Amino acid sequence: MSIQVENNLNKSENQEVFEQRAHYIPCNIEEDGHANVSKYFEPYVTDNGDGELTATFRGHHLDGVKMNLPDGYRAIVVTESKRPLAEDADRKFQVAGGFKELYYWNWDKKPSKNDNLFRAMDWIDIAEAVS
Amino acid sequence: MASFDDLHDYIKSKNNHTKFVNNSEVPQICKSEPCMLGVDEAGRGPVLGPMVYGIAYCPLSQKDVLKTLGCADSKALTEEKRDEILLKILTEKEALENIGWIAEVISPNYISNSMYRRAKHSLNEVSMNSAISLIKQAIELGANIKEVYVDTVGPPEKYQAKLSEIFPNIKITVAKKADSIYPIVSAASIVAKVTRDHALKVWQFHEGLEMDCKDFGSGYPGDPLTKKFIREQIDRVFGYPLLVRFSWSTAELMLQERAAKCNFEEIDDTPNKNSGTQSISSFFSPKNEKKRKKHKFFEERYLTMNNAFE
Repeated sequence: MSIQVENNLNKSENQEVFEQRAHYIPCNIEEDGHANVSKYFEPYVTDNGDGELTATFRGHHLDGVKMNLPDGYRAIVVTESKRPLAEDADRKFQVAGGFKELYYWNWDKKPSKNDNLFRAMDWIDIAEAVS
Repeated sequence: MASFDDLHDYIKSKNNHTKFVNNSEVPQICKSEPCMLGVDEAGRGPVLGPMVYGIAYCPLSQKDVLKTLGCADSKALTEEKRDEILLKILTEKEALENIGWIAEVISPNYISNSMYRRAKHSLNEVSMNSAISLIKQAIELGANIKEVYVDTVGPPEKYQAKLSEIFPNIKITVAKKADSIYPIVSAASIVAKVTRDHALKVWQFHEGLEMDCKDFGSGYPGDPLTKKFIREQIDRVFGYPLLVRFSWSTAELMLQERAAKCNFEEIDDTPNKNSGTQSISSFFSPKNEKKRKKHKFFEERYLTMNNAFE
């Protein structure tokens, strides 16, 4: 099977779609689609100094930090309009946008270097070494 | 602070997703003469809006000022009457010279966050901490507190013992319905209730809702306007604006029914389902093919070696 990623936004004038903010919420939300992040979430993000952030989601206290994307990497969001039924069929994805800023949130626990998402970034160095 | 406009401006200047304190100056006489202090709360039960803790204090020798102002069982007073008394406390010379007060506005979000901590913090704990911190603040500001009267809904004995331990030099009285027995508690109750009413009146929705208390009502779950608000103002992803106490069962149940399901990580590991007797069909199904176990390095980092797009 092959995978194709189409980028129709490439020539778009509006580069803002690639410069969005993403929030990693420590909660599985059983819903796909638009979310009113700027109205319901971001007004309550508070900087307590030293980069320690707090916020709230569904009544739960969140502790967070702004995470940097590794040098040389970009974050993109892709969608698949229709997933083929056959397991080994070719698949096609469309670029829906990208983000430059990533906020990582924990439920009532300060983020640390031991959190899995931070440790996942270790792979980038290893990938370079073995490539 | 000399009018309700001042009070409104002050409340609006504070953020409504944590908690904040509003206090009078300490009258000179309260620094020199021994004082009594009353504690009461407003808005414990409602699903909407803040809970407010209030304290009031005055010299033991000036009790009569409270009666002149009309401080009596605040539940027997109308909203207008309560407003009128607070306005007197804020403006009249005799009151300004004798009565000090502090209110703490505890936002609905602060309450939800406390109840949904990893180590849960009950509403009783939030309440008790607020009462204790307000008494401490009055003392730190220089008020000479000798007697404290506290209204409680729960059993008074434990509460009284705890306060006596923290304030060994103060005579503590914790009682049910203290509000209707001691005028200083009535005064505290008026400070709390009026502050809560006005905090609801000037509530600002950061979520962009164009509504006010005429639309969402008193906040009590029995109020038809509040019911309607809880039923209709739902965001599929975020649930409610932060006027709502998410941790109230009224809100929880409605979200279960009408919003996207959210699963936070479990604190307690659920016991392994596979323990116990094997099901009979398991003996007839093909043996699990030997899968290569993922290295811990990848497991701990959420890294999988599957196709990236699967």
